[in-house]
Amino acid sequence: MNFDPMKIPWSLLGLVIVFTIGMFIRGIVPKITARAGMRIGIRFYQPWIDLIKHFSIQTSITHGVMFYLGPVFRLTGGVSMILFMPLIYGSWYFSNFAFAGDMVLFLYMMFFGTLGMALGAGESGHPYSAIGVSRGLAQVTVAEIPLVLALLSVAAQHNTLSITEIVAAQQGGISHWTMVTNPVATMAGMLALLGSMMNSPFNVVLAPQEIPVGPPTEYHGTFLGIMNTNRSIFPVAKVVFFMNIFFGGATNWGILILKSFIIYMWPVFVGLVFPRFRVDQSIRWFLKVPMLLGILAVALI
Amino acid sequence: MINPIYIVAIGLGTAFSLGLLRKLGKEFSFWVTIFALGAMAFISGHWLSAFLSHQITSTVITTAGGKAPFVIVFNMGMTEALFSFMVTMGAVFSGFYLHDRLIESGPSAMAVLLAGTMGLNGIILTGDIFNLFVFMEISAIATAGLVLLVSDFKALQAGFKFMLASGIISGLLLLGIIFLYNSTGTLNISELHSKAGVILKSGGVATYLITIALLLELKPFPANGWGVDLYEGAPSGVSAFIASSSATAAFFVFLKVLPLGGDISLRIAAAAGISTFVFSNLMALSYKNTSRLLGYSSIGQLGLLVGIAGLSKHLGDKTLMIILTLLGTHYLAKAGLFWLSGIVKNPNTDEWRSLRKSPVLFAFFGVFIFALLGFPPFPSFFGKWELIMGLVATKMYWWAGAILLGTMFEGIYLFRWFSRALKLQNNDTATPAVTIYSILPVVFFGFFLFYAGYYTSTFVPALRVMCLAPLLFILLLGLLDFLPAFLKNIISLAGVTAYIVYLWPHIQGNTFKIVFAGIFLGGAILALIAGFYRRGKHMGFYPMTMLMFLGLGILVDASNLLELFYGWELMTIGSYFLLIRGERSLPHGLSYLLFSLGGSLAMLFGFALAHASSGSVDLSALNHIRIMPALAYSLMLAGFMTKTASLGLHIWLPGAHGEAVADIHFMASAILLKAGVFGIILVLGGMGNTQPYAQKILFVLGWIGALTALIGNIGAAFQESAKYLLAWSSIGQLGYIVFGLASMTHLGWLAAYGYTITHFLYKGILFLLIGGVAFRVGTADMYKMGGLIKRMPFSFFAVLIAIITLAGIPPLVGFTGKWLVYNMILSKHLFYQGVVIIISGVIAFLYLFRLIHVIFLGQLKDRNRKVKEVYVWLLIPAYLMLTAIFALSMFPDMMLARLGRMLTPSFPEGALVWDGFTASSRYGTFNLQIIMAVIGATFAAVFLWLVFANRKAQKVKQFNIFYSGEAPSRPELTHYGYNFFAHYRKAVGFMATPLVTRFWDQLSQGLHGLSSYGRAIYTGNAQSYLYHIVAFVVVVYLLSAGGIS
Repeated sequence: MNFDPMKIPWSLLGLVIVFTIGMFIRGIVPKITARAGMRIGIRFYQPWIDLIKHFSIQTSITHGVMFYLGPVFRLTGGVSMILFMPLIYGSWYFSNFAFAGDMVLFLYMMFFGTLGMALGAGESGHPYSAIGVSRGLAQVTVAEIPLVLALLSVAAQHNTLSITEIVAAQQGGISHWTMVTNPVATMAGMLALLGSMMNSPFNVVLAPQEIPVGPPTEYHGTFLGIMNTNRSIFPVAKVVFFMNIFFGGATNWGILILKSFIIYMWPVFVGLVFPRFRVDQSIRWFLKVPMLLGILAVALI
Repeated sequence: MINPIYIVAIGLGTAFSLGLLRKLGKEFSFWVTIFALGAMAFISGHWLSAFLSHQITSTVITTAGGKAPFVIVFNMGMTEALFSFMVTMGAVFSGFYLHDRLIESGPSAMAVLLAGTMGLNGIILTGDIFNLFVFMEISAIATAGLVLLVSDFKALQAGFKFMLASGIISGLLLLGIIFLYNSTGTLNISELHSKAGVILKSGGVATYLITIALLLELKPFPANGWGVDLYEGAPSGVSAFIASSSATAAFFVFLKVLPLGGDISLRIAAAAGISTFVFSNLMALSYKNTSRLLGYSSIGQLGLLVGIAGLSKHLGDKTLMIILTLLGTHYLAKAGLFWLSGIVKNPNTDEWRSLRKSPVLFAFFGVFIFALLGFPPFPSFFGKWELIMGLVATKMYWWAGAILLGTMFEGIYLFRWFSRALKLQNNDTATPAVTIYSILPVVFFGFFLFYAGYYTSTFVPALRVMCLAPLLFILLLGLLDFLPAFLKNIISLAGVTAYIVYLWPHIQGNTFKIVFAGIFLGGAILALIAGFYRRGKHMGFYPMTMLMFLGLGILVDASNLLELFYGWELMTIGSYFLLIRGERSLPHGLSYLLFSLGGSLAMLFGFALAHASSGSVDLSALNHIRIMPALAYSLMLAGFMTKTASLGLHIWLPGAHGEAVADIHFMASAILLKAGVFGIILVLGGMGNTQPYAQKILFVLGWIGALTALIGNIGAAFQESAKYLLAWSSIGQLGYIVFGLASMTHLGWLAAYGYTITHFLYKGILFLLIGGVAFRVGTADMYKMGGLIKRMPFSFFAVLIAIITLAGIPPLVGFTGKWLVYNMILSKHLFYQGVVIIISGVIAFLYLFRLIHVIFLGQLKDRNRKVKEVYVWLLIPAYLMLTAIFALSMFPDMMLARLGRMLTPSFPEGALVWDGFTASSRYGTFNLQIIMAVIGATFAAVFLWLVFANRKAQKVKQFNIFYSGEAPSRPELTHYGYNFFAHYRKAVGFMATPLVTRFWDQLSQGLHGLSSYGRAIYTGNAQSYLYHIVAFVVVVYLLSAGGIS
């Protein structure tokens, strides 16, 4: 498919909507978790206030070029993931630039922002940043195993790597969803998702009580504003991806919001129940049940 | 023509007259001796020259008008002339070398040398078997006399044992002659040959006794303890004479008499010879005494020759060529090594490090070692090739295997000796004392080895002249080694450019060859540009660099298997000398060489099966091998995989590459490893994937590739040294390529080619720049660096782009490799291998981040505050490669579409479909230009926004970080770099357990343990040795079913 310039404004609109959803989720989820812990919690619009605050800080410091570029990489990664993702199935307006790539592009785009931010954090010279990155990388290498196995299983099932085509194959009711047609792959994928959503038990990367906030320790002001913007986009991009692959995608924004919220809540609920793992514990965990499920998913194809 | 009887006359006459010339001084006597030996050599040389120019035919010369054995009868043919010439020239140079000893011992010693040489000539020329006995006695006595030149207890023992052994051997020979005369009524060797049938019926024991006696002269295993002690105890000049002249004569006569015994005699020779070759070399493994090592090696080489003689029926008309090339190499190299041992004086192998203080002699040391092991351009290379081809073609697989095994054993101790001498510290050693007498023979024989190699190659039609031309250039570079490095760099660049100009018409239109020529020779240009950073002379670097690159060039240009093997071996030699230049490279360089040797031998066997199958050595012989195809392809793949450092054969790489300096690291990793890929492609292309055996091989190969990627990448994550990290990373990257090739699909091969090209580019950048950083900082340990982005921004940027490409992150071209792998996995349903490969790619993030973070980010150390950016000569090639990465990222079709067109005839199914810049497979799509545009635009927008919103940002000092109100005082306190993935190691560190290293270590220990059992045989006890001889005679007699009858 050729590039159509009219895609640009529609993709940007889609991006704004996703961002808004992300901001909403980021306000509502801490509220829910606080209530689960018998606390009052933040106001649901708190992320907007924080964002305005960060972008309003006029004086800030930088540790160098890469430190400066880290948030740029980070947000570029998150935004690009959305821009390459078909958001609404059947909609030309919100199919974005999905024709430029497929599932593989999405998987490797995830690392664009992560790597850039890690490098930026690295230049700050703060040991917590490096420790956080080291933990995060170690964890992601194993969390990817069940994910890749699950995705290969789904791709083989539908004979395509195209996200759009996988969503298309799931149309026609819940019985066509991958969740139903390939439950083992879905289980493996959903367990893998736990490893990348920064919730307990897999949030030792940030570990607030231990290494303040890990990689972004030195970021503040506008830098942090950009990174917080990404926090409203990147996780939503991931859950939309899972929605597309395992849960039939979305044919309108309402479905997208509902499904993505539910998927988003899965690691939140798990996090509420289970305490934090050390990195070596989480590595071992992913190499047991999730990996076996992944292998089973592939074997059953 | 001069009557050859003058050889005897001059020898004897001069020997006797030396007594009369005593008053004219020892020096005069010495020169008379040399002159006489020279005159004897001239006579045989004259005959040889006449034979070679086809002026004459074989002649029988009788003397004194009588009949043998009462008079001397000489047969002079071309082989007699050649062997006589060799023996006498050996004597000339040994005599020259022994100048000091001969002067010290006086004319009587000179007379002994003359008599001995005369005796050896007699052995070769005589046509009468009794005269043969007489000449053997003369030479034996003379040899003993020479051994006893020194009043050394060891020499005395050696001489005594030799005399005892010779006594038994003479007795056996005489008995045989008597029985033979009784049976045939003649002693004339020609007549005996014509009566071979009669002899076999009635003179079986006679010929057995003669054959076994002459075989014992050649010191077969295990009845050769006296021989090893002889080599060990004799003065080095005498050992050289024994190893070259005496052995040559003894072998010739064995060759002459062998046919008398018929087939069983041949079988005895084959079995005794090859087992001697294998066991002698095995026994040598546990020794460090050079004389003893050389003794074992000499005995082994003679055993090989005997074995070849025994297998002559299978080798056909190639037998003589094989024998002459192997014997000639042994003759020249072994004499040279014994002479060198006399110069070094200390018999311990490690003490040969002192020889480095005399670079010319050390260079010849290397020449002799590599020649002995059958490397090109020496004659033995061609002999070894024809030998294995011949044996395998006649289904003598076990014999060929045993010979290759013996060669491997020999390689272990010879290369160990050489490598240690090359690398051990030699500050505390004295410069070897050399005189014109000691140096001239070494130099002459060394140069003659090259000439002999060239001369042999002219008889090998499969080798084109252009395969030899690069060697002349390398020789020129060697002669110009005194020039400053930058001049040699320019000359080398000119040489590579000239080779490219020559090569281009040959490869034009052949994408496969263009890709590899681009990597090998384009890489050579880049490496040589980087080489301008070197100061001083950098002796020895350029000839070896060019040897490697031109070897690689020959590999690409090869039109047949011989040329391929020739280029491969040249490249191996060159690369070894480059890899071992690192400060702590000794064990790793040696390991590289041994794996390379093992790989070459495996490959040779595979080629031989291909040749046997097709009857040709053309590259097309690799297609659909019919004879033991699974073994043939597996061996060839194993051979090539020693260079790709695939799992199991990878242990040499981390150290060898990790200890190399920047540009060598680049050459070794980004370029050299691709030679293995080149070979694997050739082999797999020939094998195909339709046969059941092929599918099994491909299955195993695929797993080897996948696990290599996994282990390589995990290994990289745990390294503290940046260079070791990159070395392990190369192992992993090559695993991807092997995996892709093993899939035998369009997409898999496309991915493999893509990785081959991009790995060259991004790893080229990393090796050059990380090596350059390590050079500037003075260490490759990453945790000692940190914060270098501020001192080396250009390096940082290039490294950043390189690691993004390696990681496969869009929008750079590395992503295409990942995408292709996913598609290939789906198309072939290689899910399990595929997941290992994909996860390996994710694990690569670990070491890539560590590499760039711990070196360039984090805290700048105090001692590095003033380090400069890496040399501009390293940055130039790095940025050229960076440009190529950007170009390929912008226009991936430029690479992938062309490669796809090349692959379509072989793999018509599953090709990518290109629509503009959009590539589509059956499963997915990518358009790197749109991806790049989207990412670029997003990046630019966010960046501009940040610049606007953050315009007041101030750059702060290093320690101005959030640190609980404290200010860290030292960068070391806050630079998190050491044991970066401790948690990861805790969880999956078991995967980095060096199981393969342990396996090879234990194999090595086992072999050395086995070798140590040899001391139970070689006790040094003369009585035991005599018992061995007698037992050998009896056992061989019994095993050969009652003798030759």
